[in-house]
Amino acid sequence: MGAEEKKLIKEAQRGSRDALAELYAAHWPDAHRAAYLVVHDAGAAEDIAQDAFLAAVGALDRFDRRRPFGPWLHRIVINRAIDWGRREALRRNAADPDELPGATAPTEAIGGELMPALAKLPPEQRAVVVLRHLLEYTPGEIARMLELPRGTVNSRLRRGLDQLRDLIEVEG
Amino acid sequence: MSEDQLRTLLREEPIPGAAEAERRGLELVGRAYAECQPVHRPVHLPRLIVALAVAALLATLILSPAGAAVRDWVDDVFTAGVRHAEPALTEIPGGGELLIQSQRGPWAVQADGSRRLLGDFREATWSPHGLFVAAAATKTLSAIEPDGTPRWSISASARVHDPRWSPSGFRIAYRAGSSLRVVRADGTGDTLVGSASGAVPPAWFPPGLHLLAYVDGERRIVIAETDAARTMDAADASPAVVGLSWSANGRRLIEISRRGLWLRDVRMSKLASGLRLGAARRIPLPAAAVVRAAAFSPRGRTIAVLLDRSPGPGPPRSEALLIDPAGGPARRLFGVSGHLTELAWSPDGRRLLLAWPAADQWLFVPAEGGARLRAIGDIAAVFAPGNARKATFPRVAGWCCASTPGDG
Repeated sequence: MGAEEKKLIKEAQRGSRDALAELYAAHWPDAHRAAYLVVHDAGAAEDIAQDAFLAAVGALDRFDRRRPFGPWLHRIVINRAIDWGRREALRRNAADPDELPGATAPTEAIGGELMPALAKLPPEQRAVVVLRHLLEYTPGEIARMLELPRGTVNSRLRRGLDQLRDLIEVEG
Repeated sequence: MSEDQLRTLLREEPIPGAAEAERRGLELVGRAYAECQPVHRPVHLPRLIVALAVAALLATLILSPAGAAVRDWVDDVFTAGVRHAEPALTEIPGGGELLIQSQRGPWAVQADGSRRLLGDFREATWSPHGLFVAAAATKTLSAIEPDGTPRWSISASARVHDPRWSPSGFRIAYRAGSSLRVVRADGTGDTLVGSASGAVPPAWFPPGLHLLAYVDGERRIVIAETDAARTMDAADASPAVVGLSWSANGRRLIEISRRGLWLRDVRMSKLASGLRLGAARRIPLPAAAVVRAAAFSPRGRTIAVLLDRSPGPGPPRSEALLIDPAGGPARRLFGVSGHLTELAWSPDGRRLLLAWPAADQWLFVPAEGGARLRAIGDIAAVFAPGNARKATFPRVAGWCCASTPGDG
């Protein structure tokens, strides 16, 4: 974390809305994108990113300025996104008298090969891929964030990348 | 595919509505930040004195005769909003989930007070178990999940109003212009039921059959079996009716107008092959009262009614009454100087939500003994994040989910 971000956090802790807005602008795009790539649902991703920022605001006065802000936020986002994915899978599998017979979620008209390919990975594996290749954490950092053995992170990364390579053809 | 190429794909994948989401997030976060700013708290001695004073007041209330005396005290004090209202919606007293219609659209509010804007819809209604919401926007009817996920949409030839999900969960009634229509819950089988008055939303028969009460273009109350496109019975509606409310067991129907309430018994023939409307009889109400809203309890025992009264030269008053449809005495539940505008029953029938826009408060009033009144303030701003100064008071579109009907 650079000195500039430490300064922004300090000012935000002292009540500067401008500093908070700068922190938000710096971190929202990655947080929102990471959530979207894991959950594949724009509304849920917005919710998750909002929740993470609200948690950050709620804990701002207790935040240790020596720690980097991004990883702390990303950890919340990714864990909530994984939880959402698990809940969604359970919900879709659960029979309910209120279920809509024959109704299906509309498919997104935009996007290319990436999202269908990512969708074939379980949420936990998507999360590892996103942390490594979007947010650029090392496998060791990912292991600490998700409280997983490093070997598990490495194997999820390797399998995820292999699957994505099989599913996505990229020229070049 | 190299890792660099994957990184590029992850970075460039378009996100639907990303810019709007960022803007909404900033509004919400900014508002939360403003609310978290430090406040100057009083020193310990005044806090102790206040605590002792509150304890003494509570002791007085506990030791005094409960019921009417407390209500009178409440009535005298609450003229500009309940004092010491809770400053934020952090839970729904009585539980359940609320559906709140704001200028920006409907919000699903969870029991813990967390909420989500569902989209740009003008009207919305819960499905019977709260798993879905039917929502209207211009000429479109949509089914969405409470997290905002769209399930389906259908287009109508005229503006869509008054969506109402059937108690079975399998049908949705709605009005398109002057036509009343019913569609299956998966968005198929959209059919015309008849012509409908624009003033009166349709009301499904609670026991679960696909029977619908509505007021048609000739101002008649009609009971229709929607699956068979068959009219079971019809009768002239009471004057200037604006709403219908069934008792939980479907044996009574009230017609609501500003001038009064009319109650009809409904007779069901064997095997529920037909419903017959009895004659309407007027429910006695206090003199010079104007009805704002009325609804049968989810348990079906009582009718809650919200009245505006101008008894003399003083300011207007609003009162919430509980009425026994069997003819027992009405019970005055709550009253204020000013106007209460809405009432909604909690799913278990134990509380009423009363809307008090002038005080910017929702009041959660116990309909039975044993619970305390709770007031929650700053309601308008909660549902207009980032636009608090121009916020209008939101409307309660539903309190989910109804209990099992049929106990009287």
